[in-house]
Amino acid sequence: MATTVDGTPSETGDGASVPVNRTTATGVRTPRPRGTGPELAATPLVVRRREEEETVVTFPALVWKEFLAGLAAFVVLLAVSIQVNAPLLQRANTAITPNPAKAPWYFLGLQELLERFPPVMAGVAFPSFVIIFMILTPYLDRNPSRRPQDRKVAIALFTIYMCLTVCFVVIGVFFRGMAFNWDWTRILGHPGVKPAV
Amino acid sequence: MSARPTEGNPLRAFVAQVWGSIFRHGLPTTDKVAARTALTNFFLHIHPVRVKKSAIRVSYTLCLGGLSFFLFILLTISGLFLMFYYIPSVDQAYQNIKDLQFVATFGLVIRNLHRWAAHGMVITVWLHMARVFYQGSYKPPREFNWAIGTFLLLTTLLLSFSGYLLPWDQLAVWAITVGTNMAKYAPIAGPYTRYLLLGGRNVGQGALIRFYVLHVVALPLIGFILMVIHFWRVRKDGFTGGL
Ligand code: HEM
Repeated sequence: MATTVDGTPSETGDGASVPVNRTTATGVRTPRPRGTGPELAATPLVVRRREEEETVVTFPALVWKEFLAGLAAFVVLLAVSIQVNAPLLQRANTAITPNPAKAPWYFLGLQELLERFPPVMAGVAFPSFVIIFMILTPYLDRNPSRRPQDRKVAIALFTIYMCLTVCFVVIGVFFRGMAFNWDWTRILGHPGVKPAV
Repeated sequence: MSARPTEGNPLRAFVAQVWGSIFRHGLPTTDKVAARTALTNFFLHIHPVRVKKSAIRVSYTLCLGGLSFFLFILLTISGLFLMFYYIPSVDQAYQNIKDLQFVATFGLVIRNLHRWAAHGMVITVWLHMARVFYQGSYKPPREFNWAIGTFLLLTTLLLSFSGYLLPWDQLAVWAITVGTNMAKYAPIAGPYTRYLLLGGRNVGQGALIRFYVLHVVALPLIGFILMVIHFWRVRKDGFTGGL
């Protein structure tokens, strides 16, 4: 059951060794000699962790949780959908440009960058960099530990990135007014004028 | 478990046979029955038979991957209903949406559900990514599943973005105009990419049909395939488990 792709057993290193199917060419199962195998495998392909850790049957233990989570999500969404209507403005008219014209909220970070940097940087270089860097993250982060104490730099960098993203979206949604200019009055209003959002 | 003693009552025997032929096992009264049920049921088979207790603590996954998937299913179903009414034509689309809001029974709620679930999915996928990062769950051997996840995030964003145009109101057309203008800035390829995406220089009928096909066929299919691989790998690599 716990064999890797090439049939050799492997291990994370933090767990006790687990007996695995070791089938020779003749089809005879041989027990693995102690102290060889998993402990020595350089890159584990399949991770088998401490078998002594307590397990439960997926069905119903996990399936039940999934069902409840799905049900809760559905109820919340249904409640919101009964209360709040999805926006529908006037029929599209290419002659009338709304001011401000905004991208959907999840792209407002990009629009924000476009306000601040030359288009090739903001529209192309930054997003490509983020995507490529994200894909490469697991290969660049050579630190094997998963404990937060050992990953201060990684966690700090990622947190900064997350905060920046959230900030840009919040700014785009709430603080950008006419012509995408900065506008406090959108949420604060000012004497005699109702806030726009 | 399936065939209870039902001799003497042909109807009960028949029902028992039908039931037993669909569900191979009864209620999971023992671990063994539970394990067999999971193994023989197509939908449950996506799960391993046993999981580590620490891995299914709500505080570990925060349900976020599962919720993203749930929202994807919900969006597929509600989207199917919307498709019965929606015609991707600049002359009719807007009126179709109005009809959904004011004429079709439950049309309004289904449209709302589809819209809010779409926003919700962008958020849950993003948070799921954050939890995977903070738990260090992208580390070997899950490097590549993180990459697949990245493409899932992009697919989710594009799905949402392509749907944004379909109501053909002022919000839709101008958001897509602003969004696709960003593509324009790529050196050399930019203007061509935008032209390819819009099927023209402006957001018009060409753009509507392209976005529609992307939204209801191409991107859901890509997303689904990516999810299948994603889940398969989660299943094979096992849960990272508690810290
Ligand atoms: C449509 C989007 C996605 C869906 C439906 C999805 C679904 C799931 C599910 C159901 C799990 C099981 C654990 C859990 O529920 O948290 C999981 C695990 C995982 N996901 Fe995703 N995911 C999506 C996007 C992403 C993204 C954007 C990333 C990262 C960039 C990612 C990376 C991972 C990794 C590395 C695991 C393994 C975690 C572990 O073993 O603890 N996924 N995903």
